[in-house]
Amino acid sequence: MPDTCDIVIIGGGHNGLVTAFYLATAGFKPLVLERHEQVGGAAITNEFHPGFRISRLAHTAGAIRPQIARDMELERHGLKLLQPPIAVTSLSSDGRALKLYHDQSKSLLELATFSQRDAKKYEEFAVSLKKIAAVISDVLAMTPPDIDRPSKADLWGMLQTGRAMRKLGKNDMYRLLRWGPMPVADLVAEYFEDELLRGTIAARGVFGTFLGPWSAGSSLVLLLRAAGDPHPAGSTVFVQGGSGALTEAMARAAQAAGAEIRTSAEVREIRVKEGVATGVVLASGEEIGARAVISNADPKRTLLKLLDPIHLSPDFVRRLVNYRMHGTVAKVNLALSGLPSFTGLDSDPMKGRIQIGPTVDYLERAFDHSKYGELSEHPYLEITIPSLMDSSLAPAGQHVMSVYMQYAPYKLKNGDWNAQRDGLLQTVMSTLAEYAPHIRELMVAAEVITPKDLEEEFGLTGGHIFHGELALDQFFTMRPLLDWPRYSTPVGSLFLCGSGTHPGVGLTGESGANAAREILKQLKR
Amino acid sequence: MISSSVDPRHTFLEFLDSETLPDEFVEGVKRYKYRGSSGKVNLALDALPTFKCMPGEGAHLRGAISISPSVEYMERAYDDAKYGHYSRRPYIDMVIPSLTDPSVAPPGKHVMSCFVQYAPYKLAPGLDWDTEKEKFGDTVIDTLAEHAPNIKDIILHRQVVTPLDLEREWGLSEGNIFQGELSLEQLFFLRPVPGYARFRTPVENLYLCGSATHPGGGIMGAPGRLAALEILKSRI
Repeated sequence: MPDTCDIVIIGGGHNGLVTAFYLATAGFKPLVLERHEQVGGAAITNEFHPGFRISRLAHTAGAIRPQIARDMELERHGLKLLQPPIAVTSLSSDGRALKLYHDQSKSLLELATFSQRDAKKYEEFAVSLKKIAAVISDVLAMTPPDIDRPSKADLWGMLQTGRAMRKLGKNDMYRLLRWGPMPVADLVAEYFEDELLRGTIAARGVFGTFLGPWSAGSSLVLLLRAAGDPHPAGSTVFVQGGSGALTEAMARAAQAAGAEIRTSAEVREIRVKEGVATGVVLASGEEIGARAVISNADPKRTLLKLLDPIHLSPDFVRRLVNYRMHGTVAKVNLALSGLPSFTGLDSDPMKGRIQIGPTVDYLERAFDHSKYGELSEHPYLEITIPSLMDSSLAPAGQHVMSVYMQYAPYKLKNGDWNAQRDGLLQTVMSTLAEYAPHIRELMVAAEVITPKDLEEEFGLTGGHIFHGELALDQFFTMRPLLDWPRYSTPVGSLFLCGSGTHPGVGLTGESGANAAREILKQLKR
Repeated sequence: MISSSVDPRHTFLEFLDSETLPDEFVEGVKRYKYRGSSGKVNLALDALPTFKCMPGEGAHLRGAISISPSVEYMERAYDDAKYGHYSRRPYIDMVIPSLTDPSVAPPGKHVMSCFVQYAPYKLAPGLDWDTEKEKFGDTVIDTLAEHAPNIKDIILHRQVVTPLDLEREWGLSEGNIFQGELSLEQLFFLRPVPGYARFRTPVENLYLCGSATHPGGGIMGAPGRLAALEILKSRI
């Protein structure tokens, strides 16, 4: 006799844990089924080499929506955040380094040494960005309206958004309307002269996407990020113990609220009867019945892999197949015998993010390669050395370095990712060595996570870390598909709560919280 | 009543003293993007070109002929432009109007009009359009020759029009044939400047009616008509 429970949540990624918490708080009994031995999804800490622990994928936090962190009492459940003084240090091949601090007055002093004009413009940009970001932030916490039959709540939400936009005042309202569709290269050129500053801000519009700074919609990505964090270049916050400590705190919060979590429990199939989801089947064969099934996996994996396609219309399947999930990110995790020496930097900047992506052209050229199925020759790198702020990650005096590499297109023109794994590591190491000449000598161990690994180990279809491109046509009412942006699917009692739903940007918990709210409305009917 | 069909840069920054205009309006005018990306090669031909894929005469020569073999080809052509070079292998869209209108060429001879992308107005440092003009023309002819091997033998005369020529002779700032990029952030109620998208300007009795207003470029006549309607409304 198969077990029956209240609600099954497939996948214990951060959004699934957030959904579990809110459902449990509302009196339901969610059961989270995680296929790995630990929950966390993309936010996990592992000992990838004896004695060396690292956030294997997502390496910074801080974008968690404050309301969610408060509701879940994450601090009480062990979450400790660490913030370095410098948010990002952007390196130029001519030896210059631009430091942007969390304290804006320090950033302005730093910028003034590059360009007085840019310092003034940075201040103006930060003011407009903050106001515009606040409006978008509210949109991120909304359920996208039903376009065909908007409810009173939908109309109210749209009215509120319209009013918030008007309250911005004419200038900032026009900025919001103009910035959305613009390439981020144009946005940074509107404000700044210095190429290094332009490149530093522009990177925020392309990280994790299949876009270059000249692509339309890259400014929207920057605005979506700013909505959670209005610092122009993005703040930097680490979780003590690595990103896994965040999801562990979330798991504790969910369990304290009454949710159950089972690890090493891989869901193989979603059971459907007469168009309604009735439960799941595990890889072990165990069947678990439920009155609702919520998936934290991406939309394609959920609906095309875990479900028999007979339950979906051919039109829906065709549209879902065309939902773009082309990953462009790879990760290199390094265990180092000592602190690397970056030309011209002391240890303070190394406590924050280090960016190698000095100009808009550099980023665009890196992107160009990916369009043709090639690895970037000169990749954009986002680097952290979290062991500088968190001594629990490596033995004394030794360090871990976490490197995001872009662009590593999921679909290669020649060969496959296993064959390119070593080439990827070499490209990353040579690029690093241009800025930190002796880095190779410090290397104790290296882990390479290719887009294929992202798909196979982390369950991210196409290796896309945001469960689908953050593009103008896959945003808000169109995420993942127009007609289906409200966390439900064509199958009754089957819902989505991961990043493949609105808003879908990074480690915020928003998708999970929004999904919980909508699902509760449906379940209470 | 004055209605200007030239672009905002000419209208407000050359024909007017911009100091007399509101600051944010001038900022908007200066921010409005042109960035022309096309050129033209016009050819007087002694005979018809014959294309390798469909040799000889035929209906296929009377419509538009496009050299745009794949998305990748087009994208690579665009890549060159991003970094300040004309496309090494350009996209070409051409017509031979003398086939449908024999009055434009002597009997048996033809004219061929080739629209070419990409030819970015702003070239990489060290390059300028006056010096690059004929090399650009050569690149276009070489590309044509790959598809129509007889082309070089039949050219009687060639006229190359670069974005700089478009600016100088046709008054199109930065050689943008649509009087400004047709990109989302400067279309519809944002064209050419937010708050000034209804054909009116900060100057009383001065209107805009060119492609720098809604709905933008292309030989539609729509901006002109809409501007006229607005002017008529204001006179009632």
